[in-house]
Amino acid sequence: MERTVTVVPEDGLHARPAASFVEAAGEYDSEITIAPADGDAVNAQSMLAVTSLGVASGDDVVLTAEGADAEAALDALEAILTTPEDSA
Amino acid sequence: MSRTVTGTGATPLSDVGTVRWYRPDESLPETTDAGTPEEERANFEDAKETAREEIEAERERTRDLVGEDEAGVFDAHLQFLADPQIEASVEDGIDDGLAATAAVREAFADPIAQFESMDGMMAERADDLRDVRNRLVRILAGSERIDLSALPAGTILLAERLTPSDTAQLDPSRVAGFATVEGGRTSHAAIFARSLGIPAVVGAGAGIEDIQEGTEVVIDGNAGEIIVDPDEAVRADAASGRDVEIHTDAVETTDGVSIEVAANVGTPAEIESAVEHGADGIGLFRTEFLFFNRESPPSEDEQYEAIAETLSAFPDGRVVVRTLDIGGDKPIPYLDQAPEENPFLGERGIRRSLDSDADLFRTQLRALMRAAASEHGDGLSVMFPLVSTVDELDRALEAVDEVAADLEEAGVEWARPEFGVMVETPSAVFMAEELATRVDFFSIGTNDLTQYVMATSRENDRISYLHDPRHPAVLRAIHRIVQVGHEHDCWVGMCGEMAGDPTLLKLLVGLGLDELSMSAITIPDVKAGVAATSHADAATLASDALAATTISDITQLLNQ
Repeated sequence: MERTVTVVPEDGLHARPAASFVEAAGEYDSEITIAPADGDAVNAQSMLAVTSLGVASGDDVVLTAEGADAEAALDALEAILTTPEDSA
Repeated sequence: MSRTVTGTGATPLSDVGTVRWYRPDESLPETTDAGTPEEERANFEDAKETAREEIEAERERTRDLVGEDEAGVFDAHLQFLADPQIEASVEDGIDDGLAATAAVREAFADPIAQFESMDGMMAERADDLRDVRNRLVRILAGSERIDLSALPAGTILLAERLTPSDTAQLDPSRVAGFATVEGGRTSHAAIFARSLGIPAVVGAGAGIEDIQEGTEVVIDGNAGEIIVDPDEAVRADAASGRDVEIHTDAVETTDGVSIEVAANVGTPAEIESAVEHGADGIGLFRTEFLFFNRESPPSEDEQYEAIAETLSAFPDGRVVVRTLDIGGDKPIPYLDQAPEENPFLGERGIRRSLDSDADLFRTQLRALMRAAASEHGDGLSVMFPLVSTVDELDRALEAVDEVAADLEEAGVEWARPEFGVMVETPSAVFMAEELATRVDFFSIGTNDLTQYVMATSRENDRISYLHDPRHPAVLRAIHRIVQVGHEHDCWVGMCGEMAGDPTLLKLLVGLGLDELSMSAITIPDVKAGVAATSHADAATLASDALAATTISDITQLLNQ
């Protein structure tokens, strides 16, 4: 299952938004990855991998999830990526 | 001989103390002997658990002291701690026969190097990783943490940098100040220093590295200077601003006139700081902070909660809430604010509340009138900013009556708080009688009042000599407001920067102000000052000042 999302938080996927993203990804059993539009997919449950993508606000990312709760996981992660940081 | 190293001042405070160097990297053990892989794996698991507990405690402390935003960095630390890539890499190292300490060092080395080679925010992630790595290595090696919360009183801490976990431990009653080689005004260390009221200079560069342990230095957070081996005058000057006793009780002058000393607040953390610095209440609660950094306005309930909570922080004191004061230099992205030719003379304060933000205004009034009926609601006062005509005040009070009728009809519990005018415009000074008959109090906003009385922009350095609240024209405006207010049973306060200037305290007491409201960190000084002032002497000074013609005459009077 795959979904393309445009990142809204002003700081992109850095310390605080990245931490909420990774934390949420860790709550699902599915295998979840995140990839920048033109790059390789990395483990969405790894803070190291997610922050090292250097995703900025306005960038598109591709989320994939494989597993029983894949759809719920994608919904939750999309919500985080499209919520401005401070009202999260 | 004294010498001075210059950096960036982080707080407008100074103090003198004894240097202690903080070099956490040097005290970090290189490695330890390896046990069996099973033992090392168990050690690693235990260390992660301990680290998690430490980080959570620091997160909590940071959130309480500074706010949720700053605390968020610890969420990133928790995620790095649990990172599957790092875990896998540590386990590989242990399988290869390394001790857990060495395996942790190896596992973090590449990611740290990778982030270090990047710019800006990514380089900050290297700091976060180092912070997490150092914590794990320290715990694994069983070495003592350098306890920054238990430094001897009067310590001036010097460090290459202070990480979020370092700053979260600092105890402002012991640390007289700190200076760092790295960092800017918006670094974690600087933000903490401001929240905790610690004198600090950041980004001082290599110049501080040869300052020896045990040396006496002055940290001047205002000038951004570290003065090594200060002479007696500099030392005394720096020390006088600190170690002032906190007075939690109300104060009065030597001849028995009570002056309320309150705090101006614009963030939740400042409310706590106000309590800690012995504020009698809140003299200016800037509701804008409830509106910033979000995509839509706060709900009535959110506003109610924030106000009721602040009221309960001062169960015996007064909380003066200013209704939404935006426009001018305070943009809020989700509100429609057209660019204006001259925003400081434009649609701001009450002007917006009566027009483009009328709905927001009513929501705010509902929240306020409900809060007035809450447990400590009898301490609530509400003031309208930038009132320049009686008609504006009448319209605002009509809105109050309408909201009251709505609440009554809906069966919602409400009460009528005190209402007042924030006096900032010359027209309000001239119309003081008519305004005073309609309200319970005046609070003088000296920054804008000075700007409008002197027709001088606050932002223009070339004419900053005119933006001086000591000018006789401003003093006469203040005097008039106090006189007229008292004639009509209004209490009169002051919530501009002038109120917290210790050199003007006697003059303000003499002018007859009932309340002075300022940044929390200056409250102990002002309370001590009030207790040492004779109201009769102050009144003489004020009457001489009101008769003066120029700022230099006033300066002379103040120096006598």
